[in-house]
Amino acid sequence: METLSYPHVEETLYREVLENGLEIIVLPKQGFQKTYATFATKYGAIDNHFAVGDETPIKVPDGIAHFLEHKMFEEPDGQDVFAKFSKQGAAANAYTSFDRTVYLFSATENIDDNLTTLIDFVQRPHFTEQNVDKEKGIIAQEINMYNDNADWRVYYGLFEAMYQKHPISIDIAGTVESIYKIDKDLLYRCYNTFYHPSNMLLFVVGGVDAEHIIELVKRNQAAKSYMPLGNIERFFEEEPGAIRQSRVEKKLHVSLPKCMLGFKEQAVHKQGEELLRQEVISKLMLDIMFGSSSPFYQSLYDQQLIFDSFGFEYNCSEQYAFSVLGGDTPDPDKLVETIRAYITETLQTGIDAERFERVKRKKIGNYLRMLNSPEAIATEFTRYRFRNCDMFNVLKYYEESTLDDVNARLKEHFDFNQLAVSIVESPST
Amino acid sequence: MEFQVGKVKNITIHVLPTNRFKTYAITLFAGTPLEEQTVTSTALIPYVLRRGTARFPETIQLREQLDNMYGAGFGFNIVKRGNTQFIQLRMDVINDRFVNSEHSLLNGALQYLGDVLTNPLIEQGGFREAYVDAEKGTLKKQLDSIINDKIHYAAERCIQEMCEHEPYRLNASGKLEDLPHIDANSLFQRYSDWLSEAQFDLYVVGDTTLEEVTKLVEQNFQMPASAKPIQYKPAEASHSVSSVKTVVDRMEVSQGKLNLGLRMNVGYADPDYVCALVYNGILGTYPHSKLFVNVREKESLAYYCSSRYDAHKGIVTIQSGIEFENYEKALGIIEKQLNDMKAGHISDVELEQTKAMLTNAMREILDNANDIAGFDFNKQYANVDRSVESVIEQISKVSKDDVQRIANQVALDTIYFLRDRQEV
Repeated sequence: METLSYPHVEETLYREVLENGLEIIVLPKQGFQKTYATFATKYGAIDNHFAVGDETPIKVPDGIAHFLEHKMFEEPDGQDVFAKFSKQGAAANAYTSFDRTVYLFSATENIDDNLTTLIDFVQRPHFTEQNVDKEKGIIAQEINMYNDNADWRVYYGLFEAMYQKHPISIDIAGTVESIYKIDKDLLYRCYNTFYHPSNMLLFVVGGVDAEHIIELVKRNQAAKSYMPLGNIERFFEEEPGAIRQSRVEKKLHVSLPKCMLGFKEQAVHKQGEELLRQEVISKLMLDIMFGSSSPFYQSLYDQQLIFDSFGFEYNCSEQYAFSVLGGDTPDPDKLVETIRAYITETLQTGIDAERFERVKRKKIGNYLRMLNSPEAIATEFTRYRFRNCDMFNVLKYYEESTLDDVNARLKEHFDFNQLAVSIVESPST
Repeated sequence: MEFQVGKVKNITIHVLPTNRFKTYAITLFAGTPLEEQTVTSTALIPYVLRRGTARFPETIQLREQLDNMYGAGFGFNIVKRGNTQFIQLRMDVINDRFVNSEHSLLNGALQYLGDVLTNPLIEQGGFREAYVDAEKGTLKKQLDSIINDKIHYAAERCIQEMCEHEPYRLNASGKLEDLPHIDANSLFQRYSDWLSEAQFDLYVVGDTTLEEVTKLVEQNFQMPASAKPIQYKPAEASHSVSSVKTVVDRMEVSQGKLNLGLRMNVGYADPDYVCALVYNGILGTYPHSKLFVNVREKESLAYYCSSRYDAHKGIVTIQSGIEFENYEKALGIIEKQLNDMKAGHISDVELEQTKAMLTNAMREILDNANDIAGFDFNKQYANVDRSVESVIEQISKVSKDDVQRIANQVALDTIYFLRDRQEV
């Protein structure tokens, strides 16, 4: 068991990698009632073309990672896992994102039993033709629910506009059409590839004893036999540097148009700490430029071009990197034009030094506040770990960041040829 | 988990000293009667207060103060509990020991909150007109946007129809049609009345003491000298239903939203409150609940189907998203679950699972500073003595007969369906 301490935030992590490759991280939180555990596989909606070792590569239907997540909750004995967790007083759930699938529970008692239940159900698939077909109706309703959601539509519209080949533009749940192509054999193929312990991370945070947890998981895994898995190869068609189209519009009844701008970066393939640092600097830059205490935000607000729904984010992995900004606006064209003019101006003037210091301080505080939440820690830690980064280094990168870093990032990031716009408006009547 | 309680003018102060968190969590609850005449102007108050104070008249200056306090969180929300409209102001600031701050961040946060609440920017005897105009626009967009989220919209419409003749029909954020009649002076008048009429409860959870907080509130909150707080009047939890009301709205949607409103006839302060919690848990809060199992798992009719118990109002709402043509079928299955519970068809497993889940949820409250404050405030508001431990104890004693007894008090009041436009 490895001990990693982070004295400046008063946290200590315990880590162990088992023989079968499973990585376990425990973060004991003194005085907490609750234990929160996530069992995650580095497998998400974008992993739709893959092979292990010298297998023939396979391309699977859109939405299969998410479908698999739904089906994991069914057990060979016909029992529902939710029922088992409920009996043990645990609230369980799962979610699928672009690049990972996460199973989790939160509980204040029966921690050993709940942890065993979590690991066992994820490691015991049970797919039959019948239970796979039954799920299609449920997921079709989930897809329809998102189709009525304007925020979701404008967000996905932007991915569609930015990415030409990369599966990040595919809806995580797939389409009603694609999910009907899913069968039990395909599910097993995906399962056997991506749910191998060596592709997974167990994170436990809360009022627990690290050594006890690690021993428990060790014993649990020792009783199961896993053949070593070859290297998982994921295939992605070469993504052109350019965006697919500069503007995507969709019609849906909304009180005000929704407008999002996305800047797609070309030079990706960064990894590990380098990637983490890029993320930190980019987030800092966006907050300085567009945060609610910025003069620009206030001027957009005063012109009634934006409201409280205005927001921004930065997302990067080995394969994609982009910023997203926007919200509700009465005039999408004017909003885009005003933002473009502001970026052009900032590229010339550079970032204001005083504002840089203030926002840096804010980001440091926000990071520390996040550490109050076991859920946020587990989520963020796993997300970073799968990109070979350490979440606890985020603070260091914020502290080390300089005005020059932000100005350099500014020039690197904003390229109007890489700008895509997504709009959702009401149909004209 | 005992709060220390003090008082400064018309603010009741509740402090929970603890060093379990990395922050100070501050919440101010301000409640006034939920009424047609004042609901919109009251809702607009926090929007304008956040724009500028006497000390920092410009919005950017004010927001920079938050950045300077290591990105202190500040926000407000507007909710209703029973017959009361609440403005809740929240702050969340890092404990100084993590950042070697030269100034006390708790002091800074309470100064900020005190200024925003009691020392606003005043021009010509009212609020700054530009701020009032802009925030009227923002609140209008907010009210307009309810329609964007169809799940939320259907829930709101169901309550509106069900509580047609009660204050609860009102959206806590007010009514669109009132906004044109509000100006900088009338709003300032409402603000002054509100400051005197509202009941204020300030909660602080973190590494501090009642003495310290009391001193900071005395220094930073200029509350009116002669306040006349209006006592809370809890909603009447029982309500008889003569016939079920059915409402259908049509709109461009790809999924139908089926919402039911029921009278639970058990309120937050009621001795049967915990039995009602268990009833609602068995009915529709969890993945093992009857609604989820029967509507989703057995029939694949929906992705979500759940129930929610609003104890301060004594009602239960059920919500689900279905295909339009499955309306009758889904409604039939939901009604069957309600009737099964009246007939006492409740398994031991359902009862035990629900109790375990509720117990867990109660314990989890203790890990979140805002939840701790919220739990304490709810009991203050309902004027009932209750602790996490006592609720857990009561949960363990609930029997099937108790749940069946509650089930037989529950009356379906309103069925609301949001569906596609009619084919012509």
